[in-house]
Amino acid sequence: MAPILSIDRVTKYFAGLTALKEVSFDLQPGGIYGLIGPNGAGKTTLLSILAGSIQPTSGTVVFQDRNVTGAKSFAMAQAGIVRTHQVPRPFRALSVLENVEVGVRFGRSQGSAGDLWDARRILEWVGIAHLADAPSVTLSVGDQKRLELARALATRPSLLLCDEVCSGLTEPETASVLRLLRKIQDAGTTILYVEHNLKAIMSVSHHVIVMNFGEKLAEGSPEAVQSDPSVIAAYIGRTA
Amino acid sequence: MNGAGKSGASARPRFAFAVAPLLLLAVLAALPAFSLGPNTVRLLFVTLVWVTISIAWNILGGFGGQVSFGFAVFYGLGAYTAALSVNSGVNSILSLLLAASVAVLASMLVGLPTFRLRGPYFAIATIGVSEAVRVVMTNVSMTGGASGYRIIETRPFHQLEHFYAALALAVVAVAVSMQVRHSKFGLALIAIREDEEAASDLGVNPYRTKLLAHALAAALTGAAGGVFAQYAAFIHPQGVFAFGIGVAILLMPIIGGIGTVWGPVIGAVVYGLIQEELIASFPQLHLLIYGSLLILIVLFEPAGIVGIARQIVPRLRARMEG
Repeated sequence: MAPILSIDRVTKYFAGLTALKEVSFDLQPGGIYGLIGPNGAGKTTLLSILAGSIQPTSGTVVFQDRNVTGAKSFAMAQAGIVRTHQVPRPFRALSVLENVEVGVRFGRSQGSAGDLWDARRILEWVGIAHLADAPSVTLSVGDQKRLELARALATRPSLLLCDEVCSGLTEPETASVLRLLRKIQDAGTTILYVEHNLKAIMSVSHHVIVMNFGEKLAEGSPEAVQSDPSVIAAYIGRTA
Repeated sequence: MNGAGKSGASARPRFAFAVAPLLLLAVLAALPAFSLGPNTVRLLFVTLVWVTISIAWNILGGFGGQVSFGFAVFYGLGAYTAALSVNSGVNSILSLLLAASVAVLASMLVGLPTFRLRGPYFAIATIGVSEAVRVVMTNVSMTGGASGYRIIETRPFHQLEHFYAALALAVVAVAVSMQVRHSKFGLALIAIREDEEAASDLGVNPYRTKLLAHALAAALTGAAGGVFAQYAAFIHPQGVFAFGIGVAILLMPIIGGIGTVWGPVIGAVVYGLIQEELIASFPQLHLLIYGSLLILIVLFEPAGIVGIARQIVPRLRARMEG
């Protein structure tokens, strides 16, 4: 199967600091990919490059056989790659429903008239339909995370980039968001998921990519990665 | 999108809000029947010009959150373009279209380099551009420089003609503003105002949206400048390009209620009427009053007069019903 996303030697410098160094990997369609690594490993930088929030210094990003290297975030969203933010960023003046409308009307779903893909259905799907008319600022953290996901899904992505979607959530909330991610995967969306919560990411991903100091350290199944000595060293620290 | 799912209790005031503007419009349109004095008509004319410009500023600044101090540029360029084209024999409606077009061009020149930047750069740039244009126009000999430019009138002056031109333009502005508020374009502007990065993440092109809003606002402001010039028949750079005009344009929607359809209208009426009355009797006092009003609104009710009304009306209704 052709990969949905293929990145090749992606590198990013910030004023002399190397945030990412020649990172390459492929994502196959339909999977949940976990992206882990210690603080400062470059996970969010990589996610931001894939989302078009920042542009890589060098390297290429190929999405669904299209070279999208350096495209702006709105172009990425219209191509089918969308991100969520670690700290939810609702449009405060808009209602929950109107927040989702932005994704419906400007993402890839735009123009598909007659489609049943409307904002209310998406809210139902993520479980906050009862909050549709509430001002987005009144939502709890858990519901804000759901709104963040709903808004992203409204653009009809093929690849969903989730940045720490479980941070700040309680155990039951985390479990319910993870169920939601599986549901999104079942609906055919590929997910690349950055998370600090190792337990959460190991339980939900079928394939994990480990980063350290801006480089890819290892990748493989959750079990294989967990027993990889270089990964253990990166997390616990080298003793040798 | 906005009214969906609201209870029936609010249906009546909504209806009243829809009818009130139409009533007001009917009264304004029937104005000649009241045989008002020329001074009153002049006051109404000026107020309607302000209404148009206040609405225009609000499209970019209120819905889109892009604060401009430079709308005097569009107002002045519109005024000069209309004056020059009327003097070259162009009919008055076409001259207003030309005025709008020149203002749109100017909006592109300002917006193309500055809307790519985030933060206050656009606002700062508009201050610089506004002053630069005023200085240039003060020194352009073709338009009389600092001493101003006169429209040579070839036919008798009918005050009501100008009043109706201003009224028609204000109605167009209100219609445009309502349309924008409930359109896909308006949703993009509000999303950009709230969080430009998040809006872009969802597929909104911020650069193009801001340029369009700027152009639309400039077109209305330029046309309003043209309407004013045709009435005044004499314009000069210190009048139409004054930095104070640019600030006044921004005060009106803020006083009335930023980001709403009717706030800018109310703000312009308050500004137009009070200013005209006060400036004659107390030349300095009106600035003091505006300054105080602005501070009070920013401190206590950022949604302006419309916001105050939204707080008071439900309480009054509750008292009357209870």
